[in-house]
Amino acid sequence: MERINQLYDKFKGKFEGVNGECFRVAKSEEIGDLLINILGAKGSKTISLYESPISQSARLREKLTEAGFIVHTDDLFTNTCTDHVGITEVNWGIAELGTMVQIAPEVDKRLCSTLVPIHVALLKTDSILPEMDDVLEKLDSLPQIPGFVGFVTGPSRSSDIERILEIGVHGPEQVILIVTDQ
Amino acid sequence: MANSELKKEIAGALQNNVLRGALERFSHLYVIAREKAYQGYDFEALRNKVQEIKSYSASHIDEMIDLFEKNATARGAKVFRAANGKEANDYIKKLAQEKNVKKIVKSKSMASEEIHLNEALRADGVEVQETDLGEFIIAIEGKHPSHMVFPAIHLTKEQVADLFTSYTNKKNDPIISKLVKTARSVMRKKFIEADMGISGANIAVAETGTLFMFTNEGNADLTATIPKTHVYVVGIEKLIPKFKDASYILKTLPRNGTAQNITTYVSLYTGATEAYLENGMKGTKDFHIVILDNGRRNILKDEKFRQMFNCVRCGGCINVCPAFQLVGGHVYGGKAYTGGIGTLLTAFLDSEETAGKVQNLCLQCGKCTEVCVGKLQIPEMILELRNRHGQKTGLPFTQKFALDVVSNRRLFHTMLRVASVAQKPFTRGKQVIRHLPMFLSGLTEGRSLPAVAEKPFRDIFPTIEQDVKNPKGTVAIYAGCLLDFVYPRIGEGVVAALNEVGYKVVFPENQSCCGAPATYMGDRENAVKSAILNIQGLEAEKVDYVVSACPTCTHALKEYKELLHDNPEMLKRAEELANKLYDFSKLVTILGGLENKGDGIPLKVTYHDSCHLRRKMGVYQEQRDLLSNTSGIELIEMNESDRCCGFAGSYSIKFPEISVPILERKLRNIADTGAEVVAVDCPGCLMQISGGLDQKDSSKIKVKHTAELLLDKRKKK
Repeated sequence: MERINQLYDKFKGKFEGVNGECFRVAKSEEIGDLLINILGAKGSKTISLYESPISQSARLREKLTEAGFIVHTDDLFTNTCTDHVGITEVNWGIAELGTMVQIAPEVDKRLCSTLVPIHVALLKTDSILPEMDDVLEKLDSLPQIPGFVGFVTGPSRSSDIERILEIGVHGPEQVILIVTDQ
Repeated sequence: MANSELKKEIAGALQNNVLRGALERFSHLYVIAREKAYQGYDFEALRNKVQEIKSYSASHIDEMIDLFEKNATARGAKVFRAANGKEANDYIKKLAQEKNVKKIVKSKSMASEEIHLNEALRADGVEVQETDLGEFIIAIEGKHPSHMVFPAIHLTKEQVADLFTSYTNKKNDPIISKLVKTARSVMRKKFIEADMGISGANIAVAETGTLFMFTNEGNADLTATIPKTHVYVVGIEKLIPKFKDASYILKTLPRNGTAQNITTYVSLYTGATEAYLENGMKGTKDFHIVILDNGRRNILKDEKFRQMFNCVRCGGCINVCPAFQLVGGHVYGGKAYTGGIGTLLTAFLDSEETAGKVQNLCLQCGKCTEVCVGKLQIPEMILELRNRHGQKTGLPFTQKFALDVVSNRRLFHTMLRVASVAQKPFTRGKQVIRHLPMFLSGLTEGRSLPAVAEKPFRDIFPTIEQDVKNPKGTVAIYAGCLLDFVYPRIGEGVVAALNEVGYKVVFPENQSCCGAPATYMGDRENAVKSAILNIQGLEAEKVDYVVSACPTCTHALKEYKELLHDNPEMLKRAEELANKLYDFSKLVTILGGLENKGDGIPLKVTYHDSCHLRRKMGVYQEQRDLLSNTSGIELIEMNESDRCCGFAGSYSIKFPEISVPILERKLRNIADTGAEVVAVDCPGCLMQISGGLDQKDSSKIKVKHTAELLLDKRKKK
């Protein structure tokens, strides 16, 4: 646990350093309430949810709907074009960089991670690995490299005008990661 | 592009204060941020791996392409090998017609810029949209990128706001965050409506068929996710053998390019994935990879240039290039590639003629080689380009005439002696020339030129008393033109220091110009002439060592081996010369160094590293130790001590408009130290820096060669 805590702390420091928001819960049941607070404060109303083991064990669809959010789980191309938030699960975190890694050959999963203004990512705490090479090793040991793997380090950014850093260009403007211990 | 046009482009770029300001600010920030990004990483070890992997691919290119094609095809990609731009464009145009494509979104692809793909598609009436923010801006402006990583760095937010206002027909305020939002909302619609995406890749993995993209804005992922047809245009130099090899490029490219630990997005695409097809149905997208040659195999075939395949296109080289920092990318004339590496790429992939002109912008300072991820010797390749260009087109008459004179010892030396008398009207009794008349006036703009000494070193040498009891050996001194005819006192310092370590010094009378001017101007014929003259003149066989106090000469003399590789007799002598030859500070250190003494009078000294001495010879600690070991001298390091002073031989004559601003930055760094003396080890740097200081009448700072300063501080009173 000591090691997991260290890796989490390192990850969080790096992730926040690139303008990401990072939260940790002990049990996945806590994710719903946490998200209701976070998204409520941001004034978000509509959500595209790509279901995953964490989202299901957290009963996110039910909880968020009960709390008054409009949650879409299908017709995601149409919905991600207009929804405020997309929720997906990611496979790994890289502590040395504050990077999330997602395997997503499915188009809907990618749309929920990229087309929306706010991306909420879900991750198991023990999936935070120390270094980038650990992830490359994991990918390399799969039967085949998945059709799409995305390394995401914070919200989208550009310094193309006068070299001034601006957050939120074509990809998400905000990235929120919720890490769950169970 | 004619030379006069190049000059006009340079003048325009220099007048663009936005560009100059942005580039200069970035050049300061970059160095610090890059260093921070590499903290905890062994850059040398990483770049050795990049070099190893990339050069392996280069030497197994057919195998790499076959493997990549096999593996990508197995995953549902359609791979097309395009021998040239036309084949690539025709393939993509045909595909667009077949699919009835009306709207295309593109995410940054330099390869497609290189082959003018946008123009080819637009000619067919297809709408092509660049989606990267900077690319979008310059597309509205109708210009080419001014920087490989920041294509719109030449524009202010006000100019961008005007461009967006005209594009959207809605008033855009010059507030950067709002401008970015305008781009987001304009582009969103384009992404959603696009029926084809076109992208470039940073890495292509042969063993898996995987393409890697490094981006920050998120446009690349949208380009690759939404349209139902996707085409990658990938140059053959992007191939690497193994998936895990990507690690080394992942660790270096973002750190070198933008000083980021990693780009916001690193996206791996392997084969055809799922996409939305017609009527909201999901299915497998139509996925194409165009593997582009377009001149790249000519690079591979060329022994001198094949290392270009090790380039990862990070742009690190241009981030540290003093000339690029002043003029930006437009001046380089290439459509896609800028700076030193851009010049080389332009030569092979676009226009030899353009490259032939813009290669002149390289100072040969070698700073780029320190940061290059692929360990490319860009200055050496540019020099080779210069030589080939010089051989093909010949040099302009005045340059050729000057070089013919310099390689003729008697004529040159006679002219210099005449000059010491003829210059009198311009020196006004001083040791410098501040103004030259008419067409020569550019030479004295922003700096003064030194006057030719009344008595050259060769005439002074016999009068020097060399008090060496039981000499340990003999050293021949190679003076070089500047030391001999302009700065003879440096020579006296060299003799004194070598005497102090127990060696006698001789002056071989028949030595002549080292040939560097000819080499750097691309005149190999005269360079060879100089080499033979000096090998015969110096007779290295007769002495224990040869010393030079000019690193450019030292380097030139050491390179005689290359110039004479097809002349076995001379080659042997050239090798003997190279083995015995050292630069002043290095030789004095090898021979035991100087004991601690000096006049003890406090003197604040700062040190400027010459490009050749530091980067070609790796000598930077020796002279600092010699100076620090002299009582009275307090050595204060300046900021950017190894940044070029802008002299670069004939460069300062060809491009005073670039050379002088580079010098000014050096002068600011010097002034900031509060030093009274700048020590240098290169007479060229000495001439440039003292010329700049002389024009600032308020400056009391002196410039001295290390040998001369040691002589001043250590001579017996």
